[in-house]
Amino acid sequence: MSAMFKRFKREPLLPILIVLVMLCLLVFIVYPLFQIAKSSFVGSTGEVGLEGYQRVLSGGGLFHALVNSLVLAVLTATLSTAIAYVFAYTFAYVKVPFKKLFNGIAILPVISPPFVIALSAMLLLGKQGLITKNLLGLENANIYGLHGLVLVQTLSFFPIAFLTLSGLLRSISPSLEEASQNMGASRLKTFLSVTLPLSVPGIANAFLLVFVQSLADFGNPMTIGGNYSTVAREIYLQAVGSYNLQAGAALAMVLLTVTIIVYILQNFWVGKKSYVTVTGKPTGQRRMIESGAVKHGLFTFCMIMSLAVIAFYALVPIGSFIKLWGINNSLTLDHYKYVFSIGQKAIKDTLTLAIVATPIAGLLGMIIAFLIVRKRFFGKKALEVISMLSIAVPGTVIGIGYILAFNKAPLALTSTGIIIVAAFVVRSMPVGIRSGVAALQQIDPSIEEAATNLGASGSKVFTSVVLPLIKSAFFSGLVNSFVKSMTAMSAVIFLISAKYNLITASILAQVEAGRIGVASAYCTILILIMVVALILLNLLVKWMGGKERSA
Amino acid sequence: MGMKKWMSSITALTMAAMLFTGCGSAGGNNAAPANNGGGDAAPAKPQGKLTVYVGFQEDHAVAAIKKFTEDTGIEANMIRMSGGEILAKVRAEQGNPQADVWYGGPADTFVQATAEGLLQPYTSPIAEKVDAKYKDPDGNWTGIYVGALGFASNKEFLAKKGLEAPKTWEDLLNPAFKGEIVMADPASSGTAYTAMYTVLKVMGSEEKGFEYLSKLHPQIQQYTTSGSAPGRMVGMGEAGVGILFAHDVIKYQEEGFDSLELTIPEDGTGYETGAIGIIKNTKNEELAQKFVDWALSPAGQEVGKTVGSYQNLTNPDAVGPEKAVKLSDINTIDYDVVEAGKERQRLIDKWSAEVKK
Repeated sequence: MSAMFKRFKREPLLPILIVLVMLCLLVFIVYPLFQIAKSSFVGSTGEVGLEGYQRVLSGGGLFHALVNSLVLAVLTATLSTAIAYVFAYTFAYVKVPFKKLFNGIAILPVISPPFVIALSAMLLLGKQGLITKNLLGLENANIYGLHGLVLVQTLSFFPIAFLTLSGLLRSISPSLEEASQNMGASRLKTFLSVTLPLSVPGIANAFLLVFVQSLADFGNPMTIGGNYSTVAREIYLQAVGSYNLQAGAALAMVLLTVTIIVYILQNFWVGKKSYVTVTGKPTGQRRMIESGAVKHGLFTFCMIMSLAVIAFYALVPIGSFIKLWGINNSLTLDHYKYVFSIGQKAIKDTLTLAIVATPIAGLLGMIIAFLIVRKRFFGKKALEVISMLSIAVPGTVIGIGYILAFNKAPLALTSTGIIIVAAFVVRSMPVGIRSGVAALQQIDPSIEEAATNLGASGSKVFTSVVLPLIKSAFFSGLVNSFVKSMTAMSAVIFLISAKYNLITASILAQVEAGRIGVASAYCTILILIMVVALILLNLLVKWMGGKERSA
Repeated sequence: MGMKKWMSSITALTMAAMLFTGCGSAGGNNAAPANNGGGDAAPAKPQGKLTVYVGFQEDHAVAAIKKFTEDTGIEANMIRMSGGEILAKVRAEQGNPQADVWYGGPADTFVQATAEGLLQPYTSPIAEKVDAKYKDPDGNWTGIYVGALGFASNKEFLAKKGLEAPKTWEDLLNPAFKGEIVMADPASSGTAYTAMYTVLKVMGSEEKGFEYLSKLHPQIQQYTTSGSAPGRMVGMGEAGVGILFAHDVIKYQEEGFDSLELTIPEDGTGYETGAIGIIKNTKNEELAQKFVDWALSPAGQEVGKTVGSYQNLTNPDAVGPEKAVKLSDINTIDYDVVEAGKERQRLIDKWSAEVKK
């Protein structure tokens, strides 16, 4: 008792902080999920039953959507992981030019609006497509459907797999491979018997990450899915289109279950293994592949992929200046005029809400990371699980949960900015938590202990010892939050209102109405905002860094 | 030391406060974040701000709201959604309505909303000029425009295949159109529901209608979310034939889609009555009524044609667009808006379960 009291006296704010954080998580993550679970069992007239689940699992349209989503996710994840592996391998093992370019290419899709690539795919490969019609003279190119989705999702998601794999491949100790080669194994044999097995956990990790992303993807199926219905889209049509909240909620629950199973698999099966090879101390430089067919093959592959990505991105700004793609290819500023007269509000709203959400998400992420890594308190495990839960919850599920949870008093938040900010924060925070946790784990607790022993309070230790040390994690969290908020779509499509319309919703509406030019103009502006924001945040980091050194 | 300790406590408190305001303010108060000017909680001010859900095209919507504010001095926020989306949103917000006026989109959805008690009756003095078949006798909704359904065909596609533009619903079943037809999803689009209901009427019975819809299904390349999207897709050559409102087809033609050919089904076509209504429990009833009066007036109805909307207008004093397809010139079915609205959910559910499996 007295120990607790002492702790409380030394860190009077800690309990308050923990309670506040817990409250936030309960209100904005647990409660909406609970509401979905509840609604999935309650029909429109209030009767309790399994009707929703029966509709999902009875083999009808909803079941097809589920199967479709799984097929799409498997295909996308397989392709993405394969491409990402080649990229990552080239990065870590081959001496090729333009590595910076490849790296940039791989990161580009992360900062772009969700369906830039889908838009380009239509412009490039649709019936009026630059490649399909003008180059190949095809008459009946149809980009809508599974193949279009696989293409678009692979291009959008392989960077995620790349980021996972490149770290792992670079950290594989070269000594094992050298040993293998010294014993006379060929390069291929070494690759197959040493490198590949060592990267299996990373491959599985990358696969599962993309799998989940593909499963939860909303923008691409909406734009280019055609009649290939997927779960995220079907949830939207059920909930918003037909207002069948029971079926929508049941479908959301099924999607959530699949996602969580995947995450559990990842944690149990991969999570533990993935550090095995990384723990060893670095043992010198890897001998890079400098010549030969392998090098040229890999280089060519990476180059082609990069050019493809560039082509897809370049087309959007070009498309934004073209009057009517494929019909009237004269240049025009009309689309920008439209965006700046009619879409101004959406841009302003999105920017404002993202700017509000970014520091909250960044700070909350760091605080949660700090609590997880450094503090011991009742409910810590729950806090950890819940805060990470939001990464596993598909945006569509969050969105429908928010409609259900925040429609009525006491939490009548529909149509307010708060609900959108909350969705932004919840969606983007987990990445911040992860990088915060990673950063904190690298800091020896003894530094903090020293400070504490010298009499510093908990908050003092946090602000003057911990915070400076995790600054870079904090800023990368900020960048991520901003980018994620600006391009958020699946969760917020349920939450837009006359007061707050969002740019991604406007883009989707334009795509739906077939105004590819206007949609491209929106995307171009969005990308520009993102670039400016990244530059500003970078300057801010530099400025903060400079100030610190001088102090 | 004590000072420093205080300072760091304050820093931490500030951060906690930031968390609380940013995230914890869910605790009950409804304050919008400070960044936005359109505060919603100012009931004391009589000159409120209207919120309007708009069911027709966005550029028309923006022009109309702007003109309304010019004409009346009343400010208004708006968001464009498809008919089904508006109905869903109004339903979801039943306990805590977020909008005052529902402006545009087929009357069928308004009928359904009336049945569910989502609308507040108001008979505008101008409504007496509107033909009885274009308004609800109880004033839950009033028609503002009328437009017939048509087929949009891509001329190049027709020429290449040696086909004529479809002139009847039967024509759409021609194997040459397999995978070439686009229409919206009746679940999300009022346009598509109008088409579906029309088919049931033209075929003579629900049974025969569904038989037809089942035969039509394999012909369909894609069901879009919004009702006008098929026109663009056909115009761009993404599809051969689209089912949508004639006025939307004309709009696309005027925007430069020379490739579009418009035909009206000769065996009978349905039409939408675009309606306006006030959402129940609006906090700005008086302003909402002013909006309805305005929308029914010639000034309100004639905004459309300035931004390329080609519907017929319901106020006989308003001068409609010249290019509009006049209902008197075509073979329209007896479109029973009330029945269509009442049966809406059942028919959509049936369609989803039996046709679009």
